[in-house]
Amino acid sequence: MANIGIDLGTTNSLVAVVMSGKARCLLDETASPLLPSAVRYDDGGVVVGRDARDQAAAHPERTFTSVKRFMGRAPADCVADAALFRYTMDETEERFVRFAVPGRAPVTPVEVSAEVLKVLRARAIECLFGEPGGAVITVPAYFDDAQRQATKDAARIAGLEVLRLLNEPTAAAIAYGLDKREHGVFAVYDLGGGTFDVSILELNDGIFQVLATAGDTHLGGDDFDRALGEHVLAKAGLDRRDDADHRELLLAVEAAKRRLSDADEATVTVGGATVTVTRADFDAIIRPTVERTGAACRQALADAKLTADKIDAIVLVGGSTRVPLVRTYVGALFGRAPYTDLDPDQVVALGAAMQADILTGSSQLSDDLLLLDVIPLSLGLEVMGGVVEKFIPRCSTIPFSASQSFTTHVDNQTALDLHIVQGDRELARDNRSLGRFTLRGLPLLPAGIPRIRVEFLVDADGILTVNAKEEHTGVEARIEVKPSYGLSDDEIERMLEDSIDNAETDVDVRLLIEARVEADGILTAVQKALGIDAGLLVPGEKEVIDAVVNALVLALPGDDRKRIADLAHKLDEVTAPFAQRRIERDLTLALSGRDAGEVGKQLGLKDSVARGTLDHVPGEKH
Amino acid sequence: MICYSCNEAVKDPVCVGCSALQPPGLALDPFVLLGVPRRFHLDGAAIDEGYRAMAKRVHPDKFTARPAVERRMSLQWTASLNEARRVLKDPDKRARLLATGQAEPREKGGPKLDPAFLAEIFEWREQDEESPGALSDLARVREGELRAELDAIFTAWESGAGDLTLVEDRLARLKYVTGLVREQVQ
Repeated sequence: MANIGIDLGTTNSLVAVVMSGKARCLLDETASPLLPSAVRYDDGGVVVGRDARDQAAAHPERTFTSVKRFMGRAPADCVADAALFRYTMDETEERFVRFAVPGRAPVTPVEVSAEVLKVLRARAIECLFGEPGGAVITVPAYFDDAQRQATKDAARIAGLEVLRLLNEPTAAAIAYGLDKREHGVFAVYDLGGGTFDVSILELNDGIFQVLATAGDTHLGGDDFDRALGEHVLAKAGLDRRDDADHRELLLAVEAAKRRLSDADEATVTVGGATVTVTRADFDAIIRPTVERTGAACRQALADAKLTADKIDAIVLVGGSTRVPLVRTYVGALFGRAPYTDLDPDQVVALGAAMQADILTGSSQLSDDLLLLDVIPLSLGLEVMGGVVEKFIPRCSTIPFSASQSFTTHVDNQTALDLHIVQGDRELARDNRSLGRFTLRGLPLLPAGIPRIRVEFLVDADGILTVNAKEEHTGVEARIEVKPSYGLSDDEIERMLEDSIDNAETDVDVRLLIEARVEADGILTAVQKALGIDAGLLVPGEKEVIDAVVNALVLALPGDDRKRIADLAHKLDEVTAPFAQRRIERDLTLALSGRDAGEVGKQLGLKDSVARGTLDHVPGEKH
Repeated sequence: MICYSCNEAVKDPVCVGCSALQPPGLALDPFVLLGVPRRFHLDGAAIDEGYRAMAKRVHPDKFTARPAVERRMSLQWTASLNEARRVLKDPDKRARLLATGQAEPREKGGPKLDPAFLAEIFEWREQDEESPGALSDLARVREGELRAELDAIFTAWESGAGDLTLVEDRLARLKYVTGLVREQVQ
């Protein structure tokens, strides 16, 4: 099963895979790699892609584009954006964004994105003649925890197993760096439809490391279209348009924008009037937007403690970097011409496919490559007075863990509230609220005595988990997580159930394979251990173990998942005392003064098993 | 140590026999993790080199096809490794770690400062009233002196002479005077 790379974009999405050592994007029936990230909810079903995008003007109230802008965001923060796209937000919901759709239940941006992902998954199944293994999905480097989580949720609903969320600029650097075997420092300038980010990466000794990243989640080619649209309306002497006309206008100016990348002038026809726009007009119109990207570039350089002349290469990502003014501006900013060899629309998906291939562990590309990413925004806790105390600074390499100790303020206090925020502003209310955590079940002690150690772990996807323990008593505090914004697990479960693509048979097949792999692992380990340490068996034990082994060997090729799982469990059970004796014997040997090397030699352990699941402490799950 | 998975003797984070990742328990010392000598005077490039070498062995991306228990341990390993590099790259944290065994001050705000030192700062403030800028100049000079003193303490210690008892106090003073410099600049 090949792993796939997915670029889930604001405007377009792509899926790519490594075949015969080379990454390529999978094409649709019209030979295009781009799937417009547009979804229309009809009475009969869901339409995704070009048709949904092109017919948006005819069905404005049931078509959704650019939903990436709304992923994992607070409804209160989305009002302006929703108005921009003429979406009707469900105002009764405070925790996550939900759009009204005539004649059906409202939809969340996560569900809309899941529809796009389902189409990409189907394309992969068709091209690969089978279910893809796992997926690497790209996200803007600047995405915060909630936005990353929302992306993972969408993949889950679409029936995809996410191997890794990968920062888009990092994916682009992989595509370029691997192709060219370059060592050095890259700047990746990614101007897409709706998001902008810039990252400074270092490739050294087979390791890509993101040194710094900065950006603006609300800046992109859509802004060029809007600015050009306003200009055209003013020139044509027309007033503010209604919804359908507005969409039509945006489509017309977008086409004109594309032509202006090659031609010196283009015409836009709107409301019966034809307006001619020259390249110089267009440059003047979009210059303020383009210049807004400069601040983030300087910020990223400062964070990386570098000057522009230390950058060895600049990689362009995103369709909007085809605009000549953008290329000139970037060239002037960094003092060198950017790379343009790879298609800026495809480069992220290609890099994601390469990373997905590397994660199979049997890649032809480069076993030695390792990707080290950073967290884009600081994580902190709200303390007295609404001030933020940062516990993980911005641009820390992930995974990352940090811990803080807390105590109680009143006698016999049994619960403690923590408010976690992401951002770099001093006051909690100016940052993004990630969640409120309540630690419960604290021991009854006088104020100030308990020491509650809270551990924060940011995993390799940039997603945070929290653990807490009272240090004197060892009591694990229960944590109730209330994501400030975003979907709860129950809501995801419900969407999963609603998802027709997750037919029960699919799930059954997956579970059967998992059961077989698990059982096979246990079987191998048991047989291996019996071969080495038969002397540790007590009378009668071997017969019992053999009976279970034989039954399992017979059941393994069949498709009775429950029987395989039951027998594997049974085998684990009947061999537990034997495993325990082996561990005790080894400990005795190790503690009797000889060093580990000698113990190993004495045990005659030379060869190895691929995977041992027997030698666990009884009672521990694996 | 003995590999938890195949019982073979292991010295490395990853068992040579069955390539199972071992629990990070014993190797959390930043110097051991990064494979650099237990010294104050360290080569930044050596730290980076040790970091990359270890990251390639324990990073979660190397364990995507391994059992969940190893994936979890790989996360812990790499988080510790990232923290180890952060600590060793910072001279003050590195010094404190060598002197006290911990990279962060033991009590919030660090140990109590010597009254004579505080009295001296008070004098600086008085001088600053008469000739503005004096405080920041004096603090800057003292900052340099403290760094030189710490350097000398560690140079002696690394050659087998002297001890590190003064380090914690000097770091606290250093933090105070750098704070003063920053405060005056603003």
